[in-house]
Amino acid sequence: MPLLENGQIIQDTWQIAVEGDSLPTGNVLVPLARLSEGLGRNTDARLGVVLTSADEVETLRDALPRLDVVSLTFPIFRDGRPFTQARALREHLHFKGEIRAGGHVLPDQYEFLLRCGVTAIDLPEGSDPAVWQRAHEAFTVAYQPSILNEQAEGFALRRRLT
Amino acid sequence: MDRRNSRRDAEGTSVITANRLLDGRIVWLAADGQWATLIEDAKLYPNSAVEEALKACNARAQEEALVGIYGVQVTQTASGPLPVTSRERIRAAGPSVHPDFTPDWHAPHPAPYA
Amino acid sequence: MSHSPSAALPVGHYAYDDVDRTFLKQRVAQFKDQVERRLSGALTEEEFKPLRLMNGLYLQLHAYMLRVAIPYGVLDAKQMRVLAHIARTYDRDYGHFTTRQNIQFNWIRLEDTPEILNVLADTDMHAIQTSGNCIRNVTADQFAGAAADEVLDPRVYAEILRQWSTLHPEFTFLPRKFKIAISGSQQDRVAARFHDIGLIAREGENGRPVFEVFVGGGLGRTPIIGVRLRDDLPEEDLIAYLEAVLRVYNAHGRRDNIYKARIKILVQALGTEEFLNQVNAEFAAMDRARYRLPEATVEAIRARFGAPDFAPVGNAAEKLAAQRKADRAFDAWVHTNTHPHKQPGYCSVTVSCKPAGGIPGDVTSAQMDLLADLAERYSFGELRITHLQNVVLGHLRQDALYDVWQALEKNGLGEANVGFITDIVACPGLDYCALANARSIPIAQKLSSRFANADLQREIGPLRLNISGCINACGHHHAGHIGILGVDKRGEEAFQITLGGSAGDGDASIGQILGSAMSEDETVDAIARIIDTYLSRRTAGERFIETCRRLGTAPFKDAAYATA
Ligand code: HEM
Ligand code: SF4
Repeated sequence: MPLLENGQIIQDTWQIAVEGDSLPTGNVLVPLARLSEGLGRNTDARLGVVLTSADEVETLRDALPRLDVVSLTFPIFRDGRPFTQARALREHLHFKGEIRAGGHVLPDQYEFLLRCGVTAIDLPEGSDPAVWQRAHEAFTVAYQPSILNEQAEGFALRRRLT
Repeated sequence: MDRRNSRRDAEGTSVITANRLLDGRIVWLAADGQWATLIEDAKLYPNSAVEEALKACNARAQEEALVGIYGVQVTQTASGPLPVTSRERIRAAGPSVHPDFTPDWHAPHPAPYA
Repeated sequence: MSHSPSAALPVGHYAYDDVDRTFLKQRVAQFKDQVERRLSGALTEEEFKPLRLMNGLYLQLHAYMLRVAIPYGVLDAKQMRVLAHIARTYDRDYGHFTTRQNIQFNWIRLEDTPEILNVLADTDMHAIQTSGNCIRNVTADQFAGAAADEVLDPRVYAEILRQWSTLHPEFTFLPRKFKIAISGSQQDRVAARFHDIGLIAREGENGRPVFEVFVGGGLGRTPIIGVRLRDDLPEEDLIAYLEAVLRVYNAHGRRDNIYKARIKILVQALGTEEFLNQVNAEFAAMDRARYRLPEATVEAIRARFGAPDFAPVGNAAEKLAAQRKADRAFDAWVHTNTHPHKQPGYCSVTVSCKPAGGIPGDVTSAQMDLLADLAERYSFGELRITHLQNVVLGHLRQDALYDVWQALEKNGLGEANVGFITDIVACPGLDYCALANARSIPIAQKLSSRFANADLQREIGPLRLNISGCINACGHHHAGHIGILGVDKRGEEAFQITLGGSAGDGDASIGQILGSAMSEDETVDAIARIIDTYLSRRTAGERFIETCRRLGTAPFKDAAYATA
């Protein structure tokens, strides 16, 4: 699937663990249930985890330093839990790696995701990145601090978006 | 759509309704396949045929710019189809507290649209 | 409208600056783009719906309904005129004030909406987050900044919360809507305990305010009185603490059943203690510096509020006294529709939007223009919408009251019934609302006509009558001394009566259902018999709600179901 990162569509080189199969070699994303299996691989390849919106990010605390990617999943765009998961990963667990969002996500949610700490979006095949870019550029100001620590805009809690 | 609207018996007669996407106004499917603003113009379907007709309408909803298509059970009266529920009667006639706002009411000054 | 820095700040609400205006224009452009994507089919109706809802646009029974935000219920004369203009140009010449201090227009076209939002933005108004599963319009006390018993002005904090919650990145797709109310006096006039979060501010030790925090209250299907989480939350932690509450809710509130998705259900399911533990854990773990609300920020926002420039009033009080003596009808109105002001010689006026036999909360374009004129001439340009669907002129000289009353009288706004049985709160009901079971307005009109006699109303005294067309309780029927709830009896409209509810004044309670549902006319008759029972059984000076509490529901139930 195409991956949207910093306004660019890039080719996703990560593989996703297939249920019932043993883990592939190379960079792989595993579900939470197979995390220890992933950590136990004897390889230099990188590891990421795919969370459902119901998973507690706290369970990743110990493993996080060894993970490069956490991929969050929107079962439907209205399920807003991944926003809290992303923000908690950054703010409570100080995760520095990539946070992806996938599943049913709308371009209208893009800026919110970025401000919660998401860095890449799993786009459905055939998506138009221009629509996402437009959503990103729609606003030049926000009304509250975020984990991106944007600069203040004038007085009060406003932040300048760039 | 709201299930309460489609309170239909096995027997009986229904009409098909929707809201227009662009202005939200209520419309009724007429015999000529057009969507009319007055329930008097609605085509009657035996209840057994409603699901089939709804399927066909829903397939064309985006193209015809309609939302919330469903069937409404009616009785036939001298002045046309009369819905069985109060809700649908109010939809068909306009708000009871504004007798002037009949479904063919239209703004004396059409909204300027830039 | 003047943008020059020397222009006086609007009284009673926050003055936008260019940053705020740019933001609003960007929001309008975004919505225009969303509408275009909907029309092209790029967005499905399912995807579009939450997006339009977050701009206040519902699809109702007959057409789209647009709900415009009136933050903390305050607007200025220019803004009121724009609302009149919208009613006239894009709707059918009227609007409806709601219990959430907003205004709703009932006949809006989707295709006009970007343009309407643009017109609103030109006078610093919007419809952002007036619907949808996000943090809604923050409500405040309608006498804020004027009431004699006020400890501090809650509007500054309501504005801070409005800004903080605007397009909040984390809390815009919550399990369900989220409503916050804030009061600046111990006389809780905002029903703080019936909100997802209710805040009651008071003066703290260092001269800065502290907040009592209630959470998990609400009406609707499961009426619950909120529980107190904090007694003395310091001002600087206000944002951080609300973030903590909302994080717990966003992560753990139910999403599988919309009827169990409000925060009140989560608080009940976890128990107050466990919920509090989770909030405290989050509060302890978060980066508090990031969310700190510095005193300087509060003061910067406060500085954007204009304050009335009170003039010496001379012998205003004597003049008023003489006018009251000379005109009994005026005297009665002053008695019911004015509220003490902290500035000597001034008072606040509640303009009743409940004429006898009328539609509660409906106001025509011409009436909106009149209210704007009166506000401009007499009340520093400031207007407020109350959660009882009336309009307040906040700061009137006592010697202006007579002129104001006469102008109101001439235009159908002079009803002297504030706080009485005909000051009915009613939701739009089945005449407009797609979710309704029964019509709320016709029964309100019948009751209002039935009790229209001024002497009778005065005899009955203070009484709250609230009507909702379905269990969503938009008319706050549970909080009415008498509540009426519309139900559906096999496609027919019917009504249940509740008794003994109350919204505030430190004695919030939830009304009890009297018995099985009745038809509209039977309900009106039953309420008349309930009132007769009260009048014959009350002790001297006892208000309706007090008699209810003393006697319990039994005698009223007997009266309601007595067949004449
Ligand atoms: C006509 C369009 C309206 C629709 C579709 C609508 C819909 C709803 C729904 C679904 C709820 C229940 C939500 C829940 O408990 O999760 C609700 C609650 C509420 N509505 Fe409305 N409403 C409408 C108009 C109004 C109006 C006109 C008012 C004010 C008079 C209002 C004030 C409220 C209030 C205060 C609640 C809160 C009850 C609570 O917090 O538990 N609504 N509304
Ligand atoms: S209480 Fe029910 S009928 Fe009344 S406005 Fe709310 S949802 Fe509609």
